[in-house]
Amino acid sequence: MSDQAILRIEAVEKRFGAVRAVDGVSLEIGSREFFALLGPSGSGKTTLLRIVSGLEAPDRGRVEIGGTDVTALPPYLRRIGMVFQDFLLFPHRTVAENITFPLKMQGRSAVEREEQLDWILGFVRMEGLGDRFPHQLSGGQKQRVALARGLIARPELLLLDEPLANLDRELRKEMEIEVRRYQEELGIPFVYVTHNQEEALTMSDRMAVMHRGGLEQVGPKLEVYNAPATRFVASFVGAPNRLSGRAMQDDGERLLIDWGGIRLVGRAAGSARPGDAVEMFLKSERIALGPAADAAQHENRLEGTVRDIIFKGQFADYIVRADNDVELVVSGPTSVAGVERNARVTLGWPVEAADVFAVEDGEP
Amino acid sequence: MAAVNPGARFVIGGQTVMLLALYAFLYFPIFYIGYLSVMENNVWPFPPVFTGEWYGRLMIMSDFHVGLLNSVLIGIGTALLSTLFATAAAIGLLRYPVRRRGAIAVLFLAPLFVAQILIGISTLMFNRNVLGIPGNIESAIVANTTYSVSFAFLVILAQLVRYDWRFDEVAQVFGARPFRTFREVTFPNIWPAVLGAFIISFILGFNNFEITFYNVAAIPTLPTIAWGTLRHGIEPELYALATIVNALVFALLFVIYLLIRVGALRLGVPDD
Repeated sequence: MSDQAILRIEAVEKRFGAVRAVDGVSLEIGSREFFALLGPSGSGKTTLLRIVSGLEAPDRGRVEIGGTDVTALPPYLRRIGMVFQDFLLFPHRTVAENITFPLKMQGRSAVEREEQLDWILGFVRMEGLGDRFPHQLSGGQKQRVALARGLIARPELLLLDEPLANLDRELRKEMEIEVRRYQEELGIPFVYVTHNQEEALTMSDRMAVMHRGGLEQVGPKLEVYNAPATRFVASFVGAPNRLSGRAMQDDGERLLIDWGGIRLVGRAAGSARPGDAVEMFLKSERIALGPAADAAQHENRLEGTVRDIIFKGQFADYIVRADNDVELVVSGPTSVAGVERNARVTLGWPVEAADVFAVEDGEP
Repeated sequence: MAAVNPGARFVIGGQTVMLLALYAFLYFPIFYIGYLSVMENNVWPFPPVFTGEWYGRLMIMSDFHVGLLNSVLIGIGTALLSTLFATAAAIGLLRYPVRRRGAIAVLFLAPLFVAQILIGISTLMFNRNVLGIPGNIESAIVANTTYSVSFAFLVILAQLVRYDWRFDEVAQVFGARPFRTFREVTFPNIWPAVLGAFIISFILGFNNFEITFYNVAAIPTLPTIAWGTLRHGIEPELYALATIVNALVFALLFVIYLLIRVGALRLGVPDD
């Protein structure tokens, strides 16, 4: 996608005092892409977004939007849209005035503003609410207004900074689908910053995982999810079990480890050599669970006892104590025949469900 | 309302009496001047015999009209300069990552602690000896501003700490240049604070005696007229003058009260 990249970030660096908030990041984002920038708080993702918007100037590096070098341009000359955390709707303006603000700043006529307003109010399903003030809206409505304001001028790029962080869980699920629809129907590239992996995985096409100012991995979301490139990504994406052991034997792609007396095989993802202290990151939903022998077709097998079953609605978490006294979490359907508290079960999982990193492969 | 037990009622009653006593302490002298200004006998005005004579005499005093005009001019000039400087200072201090923010703020407030008469004398000396500027209305305005700007700064700062500067960032991202951002977003949100600072610095400049007296040369203002009249013994016109000045100031304070109510409604609405 490098030939049609709408956003190109080259070796961008930003320090705050002694802290390297963004540490030499390069990234390209395509013209119709939904791109998620995922990272824990303090990883530099918001700073990177602010550098793209022009609200923060990088110490080093270049930012290009639509083929133009905008590194030295102030935000008001960048033709971007943005959706802010906490919505940040102007409290003294009505919904309609908030939404048409970008058009007004561009000097568009009142007639044109009115037309575009009608279109976008319909698009975000807020018809008839143009005369309200922000304090009269619900959280979800405010979010739609903030998105409408970001999109009405059809910017080259829409930046979203944790836009759903302040919504409750139900509403967030609904808005995730909504936001995804806006992106698909308008074809505007979205750069979506979040610390919530679920949001990133639900909405994006590609994603980057950011940690300590740098990019740990960039790629299609399934690739990031299924084949984490670093120990940090493995620990941050998915809700994996983390099994500490020692590498025993290495046959290129696979690594045999000793986990407290139990032998397991995983994908050799890092630089572990036989003898190294390692960690196996094992996705809880990839583990098959059943009464003895049911999970036998998998390469990794172990026996254990169900200590507890945590009902989560559509699925359940099974806490299984393995025979070496370490507990694993297995996600599965809410009921599995023959599996109840204190039942003996067999767990099994394929090699590719488990990624093994040496403990030296960077801090998670 | 639930029944109040006798003990609580006693406490509430006591608090009310204390509050009224405090207000009496604050306002009786002012009301007494107002009362005297419409009394025929100002020496022992009991029982009351009303008259408008003192107001009548004040109105035909030529100095009074000139003094009123000059005081209003000094008030407006002081208010304009003080509000402009104080707004700029408060925005500069809060909007940008300023080092030594506390020290800068305190230096803006320092004039509050200097005796006004010293500000008056020292600006007079400085203006005359160093700058060669004679005493007149303009130099009175400048001298008053050095004092009033501190109050204006306090008023604006107290309001502006509640303003979310991210709104300015939003405006800029959506295409507003800095001045447009101020006009479209910042000012509509902070105007009650700016107007409040304007009114307070107007009142300070309008009422000021010490600073004005030294800097205004022989040009009459209401406070200097009052002072001049006093030297010939207290004339009843003075009561009328004081009452008019107080009425004006109270009217402006009422505007501030309304602003606080409106300002609270406008600025205090939480965003969620």
